[in-house]
Amino acid sequence: MSDFLLELSKNPTARSFVRSLGLPIPLPQPLRRDSGPWRAQPLADTPCLVGGTDGAELLGSVADCLAAAGADTWLSMPAPLARLFHDPGETFGRPARLATMLPPEKVVSLLVFDASGVKTALGLRALFDFFQPLVTRIARCGRVVVLGRTADGATPEAAAAQAALDGFVRSVAKEIGRKGATANLVLVEPGAESRLAGVLRFVLSPRSAFVSGQPLVVSTRATPISEPMLVRPFEKKVVVVTGAARGIGEATARAFAREGAHVVCLDRPADEGPTSVLARAIGGTPVALDMSAEGTAEALKTALAPLGGLDVLVHNAGVTRDKTLGRMKPEQWDQVLGVNLDAVVQTTNALEEQLRDGGRIVCLSSIAGLAGNMGQTAYAASKAGIVGWVRASAERFAGRGVTVNAVAPGFIETRLTAAIPIAIREVARRLAALGQGGLPEDVAEAIVFLASPGAQGVTGRVLRVCGGAFVGA
Amino acid sequence: MGRTKKSGRRAVIIGGARTPFVKAFSDFTKLDTIALGTIAVAGLLKRFGVPYRDVESMVWGGVILQGTAPNVAREIALDLKLDPACEGMTVTRACASGLQAVTLAAAAIERGEADVVVAGGSDSTSNAEIKLPQKVVHALAPLALGKPTPRDYLGVLSQLMPITELLPERPRVAERSTGEVMGEAAERMARRNEITREAQDAFAVRSHQRAAAAIASGRFDEEIVPVQVGDGRWVHADGLVRADTSVDKLAKLRAVFAKDGTLTAGNSSALTDGAAAVLLMSEERARAMGLRPLAAFASWAYAGVDPADQLLMGPALAMPKALDRAGLRLSDIDLVDMHEAFAAQVLSVLKMLASGPFARARLGREEAVGEVDPAILNVHGGSLALGHPFGATGARMVTTMANELARTGKQTALLGICAAGGLGAAAVLERVS
Repeated sequence: MSDFLLELSKNPTARSFVRSLGLPIPLPQPLRRDSGPWRAQPLADTPCLVGGTDGAELLGSVADCLAAAGADTWLSMPAPLARLFHDPGETFGRPARLATMLPPEKVVSLLVFDASGVKTALGLRALFDFFQPLVTRIARCGRVVVLGRTADGATPEAAAAQAALDGFVRSVAKEIGRKGATANLVLVEPGAESRLAGVLRFVLSPRSAFVSGQPLVVSTRATPISEPMLVRPFEKKVVVVTGAARGIGEATARAFAREGAHVVCLDRPADEGPTSVLARAIGGTPVALDMSAEGTAEALKTALAPLGGLDVLVHNAGVTRDKTLGRMKPEQWDQVLGVNLDAVVQTTNALEEQLRDGGRIVCLSSIAGLAGNMGQTAYAASKAGIVGWVRASAERFAGRGVTVNAVAPGFIETRLTAAIPIAIREVARRLAALGQGGLPEDVAEAIVFLASPGAQGVTGRVLRVCGGAFVGA
Repeated sequence: MGRTKKSGRRAVIIGGARTPFVKAFSDFTKLDTIALGTIAVAGLLKRFGVPYRDVESMVWGGVILQGTAPNVAREIALDLKLDPACEGMTVTRACASGLQAVTLAAAAIERGEADVVVAGGSDSTSNAEIKLPQKVVHALAPLALGKPTPRDYLGVLSQLMPITELLPERPRVAERSTGEVMGEAAERMARRNEITREAQDAFAVRSHQRAAAAIASGRFDEEIVPVQVGDGRWVHADGLVRADTSVDKLAKLRAVFAKDGTLTAGNSSALTDGAAAVLLMSEERARAMGLRPLAAFASWAYAGVDPADQLLMGPALAMPKALDRAGLRLSDIDLVDMHEAFAAQVLSVLKMLASGPFARARLGREEAVGEVDPAILNVHGGSLALGHPFGATGARMVTTMANELARTGKQTALLGICAAGGLGAAAVLERVS
């Protein structure tokens, strides 16, 4: 199950040996992660170069976010825009300096470019001018973030310019993936500027280690809730994680508990042992229920009643019954659709009243659902169905400040993927921009992010945690 | 003005006394923190003619405490042969320990727990205990406790390799949580708040000049208790003040905490030995005893910040808090006294107090706390010139400001102290007439 090439890469001697001989062996960069609890200043002392063009509209929010998060900021932008960084810098003792003063030998960990002012095809040249000299200087496990605007109501040319950012970022992600670095695009709807900070914190931090080549949209759809908490955001909150016994579910339950949540760990009765062990370890509540059984939703509602309400619902439970359509039996189809999609619909309906305002629903989709996969008609149907459900539910819950999102994991090193034949497994790992599989913790961090108060602007979306996988849109 | 106390009692400051402050490993090397404290308290009680039996309580602050006698307050009371009924406690809040002791004493008086309390603090950096590594302590435990067998001795030997791990640890002024030496933290603050070397040196020179002027004018005579040292000599004056220093001289010093840094031995406070004590009473008792109160606390406040961020910015949060509690604004304040751990730290805090954006984002107030007029800041110098025996500094500042209010007829003084662990302390003193 362990990734031999990744282990090899972790050994500096072996690394330089392979490099010096020029062996055609891919050496994926071991990713930098942060497994501890959220910190008030996740970017403390991290060199960050910020660029922007005339007409850039998001730099004020960027300035606030970076200074509060502790970044060591360097600016490459017209002087009037650079002035936006003065007050936040003074507040947090993080004065932003001009990029021209940046010592040439200094590696830059974070590159942020506000392209919201780019309205023409030729204006895209600003992207080239900013990134071209820097892209080779980016640090290992660095971050590239491009900021843009959603295209609603724009002229066709401005829409083209903003859409171009998507292709640019995805390609940059492939180019810098070997260094363990990621590139992502954040599109901000007009009026949602104040909601950018929470998202930017995540995509710039080590917690987004396996998120690359992705667009994230920040909107005003979900009604605003209280001030975001930067540390222990889930204190006094109740989180339900289905399928919590192992893998992604277990990592998710642990991550929520780490941030102060009371986690209800739900899994089928056959897995009651590991579920109970986990719940005891994290001070949560174990619940043994079979998601495919009749009346499960109502039983869950009853089990949650003593907790007095619910803040986050993570629909993680899922099954695979991989068969080509020609060979699939009806009960296999029913099982997959029942657990992966119907149970999501039914439990949400049953728990709707218990879910508090400002709550969160996070579902598990899959790259297979987005791209399709041989032998996974039922699975892909269920996981693509999640995408539609999330989109519509986001609209339905928006007035209550509840956001509804999905994460779509790519190749994650779990018990499930360990069973895949080695050749296919190797291909799946290396085809990602980061050249390796992700960990369950990477998905857990994305789920915790989507459930956090700072992600109020993200709803109705699917966030891929795929390391910049080759397949899928 | 001032707080309304539930008890209707007010604690007043009668006066203070301190030993001269001298460089560590110089004149006071043979005097530990208890001995220094005892000298200061004896001098204090003598100066105000307070009978020993009247002292009901002793509160002491210290940072480098002796493992065998950490309750310095009690040891001082016993060594001085105060009434055995005079209870004592010792508190530690890093460099704010002295102020902590004094404010605790004021609180106890205002709660009606006592009428006469001696509070203060001392530290002897010269007598910091050299500690064996905890690994050695744990390894030696089987030998120290019970009856060791030869096998135990062998076991201990096998655990104590390699030999370098056995060397005693050199005491450092480093943060336990981050491992960062305080000077490094101040160096980072200088860089982050854009405090230049020139500004730091100029501030340090001013501190020395003001302290030297105060000494020359005899201003400190009423505060200092001379100390007789081993060879029979008397130490009458602070040992670190350099009247003849200048910006040019300081400019020649090498940066000590970073290669291209701005902090030098000249603009950082030195390791110092010394003690300071303050006599506090309930206002009624003071009047009854015919003693003239100098000042009282209008408020005090303590604050904490993330030590990994800006370790020594605590006063920028604590000082506004103390002002709010006293119902005052910075413009109402006649004197400001800030502990000068490093010139860079004081200048950083001043910059934060003067910043509108800082006030809005970090203090939740519309306008900046305000600019501190250099003319009213540290009028008789500060820790850069006088030195900084950690636990004593707060009591020294209270003493000097209380005297200053009484002497000049000014109304209010604001104190600010930064401390290890990301702590900040502040207090507002008001003159008592």
